[in-house]
Amino acid sequence: MALLISLSACALLFACALGLSYAVISLKRKKTGLERTLTALEEKSDTQLANKIKLSKQQLETTFDAITDYICAIDAEFTVMRVNKSYADFVKAPIRDIIGKHCYEVFWGLKSPCERCPARKTFASAAPVFKQHFTLRTVAGVRHFDIGTYPVAPGEGKPENVIEHIRDVTDERSILEQLIRSEKLATIGTMTAGIAHEMINPLSGISGTVTNMLQLPHKYGLNEKGKQRLTALRDAAARATMIMKDLLHLSRKEDATTILTDINAIIMKAVNAVQLKGFPPLEYKLMLDQSLTMVLCDPLKIEQVIINMVTNAVQSIVEKKNTLTLQSVQYSGLIIISTQALDEMVRIDIIDNGAGISEDIKSKIFDPFFTTRAPGEGTGLGLSLCQRIVEEHNGRILVESARGLTTFSIVLPAQPNSASIIL
Amino acid sequence: MYSILIVDDETSIRMMLLDYLEDKYEVHTAENAEIGLRFCRERGFDMVISDVNMPGMKGPEFLNEVKKLHPAARTVLITAYNIDNYVRLARQFSITNIIPKTSPFNFTELDLLIDGLLTRNIFGLSRYLLPGYTPLGKFCVRSSKEAKDVREGITALLIEKLGTAGNMKLILDEIITNAVYHAPAFPDGTQKYQEFVDVRLEPDEFVHLECGYDSEKYGIAILDNKGRLTKETVLYKIDRQITGEGILDDSGRGIHMSRLFSDRMIINIAPKSKTEIILMNYFSHKYRGYKPLYINEL
Repeated sequence: MALLISLSACALLFACALGLSYAVISLKRKKTGLERTLTALEEKSDTQLANKIKLSKQQLETTFDAITDYICAIDAEFTVMRVNKSYADFVKAPIRDIIGKHCYEVFWGLKSPCERCPARKTFASAAPVFKQHFTLRTVAGVRHFDIGTYPVAPGEGKPENVIEHIRDVTDERSILEQLIRSEKLATIGTMTAGIAHEMINPLSGISGTVTNMLQLPHKYGLNEKGKQRLTALRDAAARATMIMKDLLHLSRKEDATTILTDINAIIMKAVNAVQLKGFPPLEYKLMLDQSLTMVLCDPLKIEQVIINMVTNAVQSIVEKKNTLTLQSVQYSGLIIISTQALDEMVRIDIIDNGAGISEDIKSKIFDPFFTTRAPGEGTGLGLSLCQRIVEEHNGRILVESARGLTTFSIVLPAQPNSASIIL
Repeated sequence: MYSILIVDDETSIRMMLLDYLEDKYEVHTAENAEIGLRFCRERGFDMVISDVNMPGMKGPEFLNEVKKLHPAARTVLITAYNIDNYVRLARQFSITNIIPKTSPFNFTELDLLIDGLLTRNIFGLSRYLLPGYTPLGKFCVRSSKEAKDVREGITALLIEKLGTAGNMKLILDEIITNAVYHAPAFPDGTQKYQEFVDVRLEPDEFVHLECGYDSEKYGIAILDNKGRLTKETVLYKIDRQITGEGILDDSGRGIHMSRLFSDRMIINIAPKSKTEIILMNYFSHKYRGYKPLYINEL
C-alpha cells in the first residue's frame, strides 16, 4: 500500500491517516491506481488482502468522522473535496451539499479566499502550516480557531490537495484568560494585604487625632468651619478604613473555625441585623426547612455572607423603588429566604424582586471592586468576599436573575471536609 | 499623677495618644525603642505603651528591656496588625494586654484599660459599661443543673430586651462549664468535679453572673471565687488554639472560642481568690476588627 500512495512528511499522525483515507477515496474516484490494483487483486481471488484494505479504509473513515475538530480536504481552487462529520455539523449543512463548494464560502461566509489563508501557503510550498489563529463572528458570539494545513502530494512537487485541520479554541482561551486573571488577582491580594496594614496604622492616627480635636475644639483653636472640615475628614478616614478592612479580609488566607451550626438560626440573626441597619421596611418571607441538619461551618463568616446578600437584596429593592417613583406603578419589595436540605448539602436561597442583574454584568459581580452602587455606598468587595468565604467552606454561590426575580443560592456541604460540591 | 511613656514610630498615633492622655497623666513620647530605652534608664514610668512593628528594636523586646529596668512598670502593646499573630510573642515576654489600632480609635476602651492597670481596680461589669448603663440582672449558679437555666435565661433576656444575643449562648455554655467544673479544686490542687457529672457547688464555689448594656454594647460578667486561672494558662491556651497546635486539647477551646465569638473578652484574675471573665458585643460594627488581648492579673 505504501508504494501506491506517497505522502509528504506530515507532522500529525491523524493528518497522515486522513491524507491516506482521502487519497484512497480520491484515487478510487478517479478509477486509477488503487482501484485498478484492487480489481486486479480481486481478480486474482486474493480476497483476503482486499478485505484487509476495505477494513483499513473503514477504520480511517470512522476515525475521520469521530474527530471533533473540523477537517476538510480542498484542492488548489479551494474547492471542498471532503469534510468530516464535525465540519458538516458546524456549518449546519449535509456533507453532500458542502462538497464541491469553496471552503471560504462554506465555513467563513466569504466571497473570496482569506488573505492569510494557510492552505494557499501549503499549496505553494508543499510544507505544512501549523496553528494559525482565526476568528469568526457568529450569531452566538466570536469563536476562535487554530488552523493547520497539511499537503497531500503524490510523489515530489506541488500538492494536489491540502487537508485543513480547524480546531475551535474558544473555550480553552476563556479558561486560560480566567486563569491568568485569578493569578493576577492572587498577586494583587498579597500586595494589598501589606499595603492595607500599612494604611490602617496612619488611618487610625488620623481618625483618632480628628476625634480628639472634635472633642475639645477650643484646645486646638478650632472654629465651626474647622469642625465641619474635620468631621468630613473623620468620615473619609472611616470610609478608607472600611475599604482596607474588606481588602484585608479578601486577601487573608485563614482557616475557618468550624462548629456544628444551625443555619436557620443564623438566617434569623442576619435578617435582624439587616433590619437594624435602618432600611425602609419591606416584606420578608422566611421559608426555613426545619429538618435542616446542623452544618459544620464558621458561623460568623456564614452570617457575614448572609447579611451581605440580604443587604444587597434590600438595596436592589430600594434601587427599583427609586426608578419607579415617577410612574404610578404598584410595586412592593419582597425578600424570600428559604433553606432546603439536599443530599449531604444545605441550600440557602435569597430571592428578591428588586432591580435585578443584567446578563452583561452577571459575570463581573464577583470581581473585587465591581459595584453598581454610588461611591460611598459600598466597597464593591462584598460579593467577592462572600464567594471567598463560601469557597473556603467548599461550597458554591449560584446567581440567577430572570422575570423580575433575582436569586442568590448558597450551597454548603454539611461536612465541608468531604469532597467539594460539583455542580 | 501616674506617668506614661508612649513609643510609636507613627507620629499621628503618638500625638493622638498624647493629646488624649495628657490631661490625666504625665505623658512622654518616643519615636523608637532606642530613644524609649534611653528615657527608661533616666527615670521610671508607671506604664509603657509601645507599638509592635518599629524600625530597630520591636515592641515586645523593648517592653522586655523596660521590665528589666523597672519590674513594676505596666506594659501594653498597640498594633494595627492582627493581634492573633502576636500572642506567642506576648506569651514569651509575658505581655497580657494588646490594643488594636482601630479607626475610629476606641478611646473609651483605652481609658478603662489604662485606669484598670494603674489603679488595679479591674473587677465588676459596671466598670466596663458607660456611665448610665442599664443593668439587666444578676444570676447565681449553685449547681450544674442551674447552669443550663441561667444560660438560657440570660440568652432569652438579651433577645427580649435587645433583640439579639450574638453567640452568647454558645459562649456561656463554655465559660459557665469552665467556672463550675474547672475552678473548684481540692486543697492539693487537683480538680474537684468531673465534667458531665451532676454537681452541687459549695457556697464559696458559686458562680456569679451579671449582665447589662449601654448605648454601644452589652456585656456579661462571669465570676468564680476560686481564681485558679492564671494569665500564663490563658496565653498558653489561646496561643495553642490560634496556631492550631491545640486542636486536640481537651481544654482551652472554650476560652479561645469565647474570644473569637464575642467582640470583647476581658479576663480579670486575682490569683487564688477570683477570676472574672467579661464578654461584650457591640451593637454596630464600628469597633470590630482585630480582637484585642486583655488579661489583667493582680
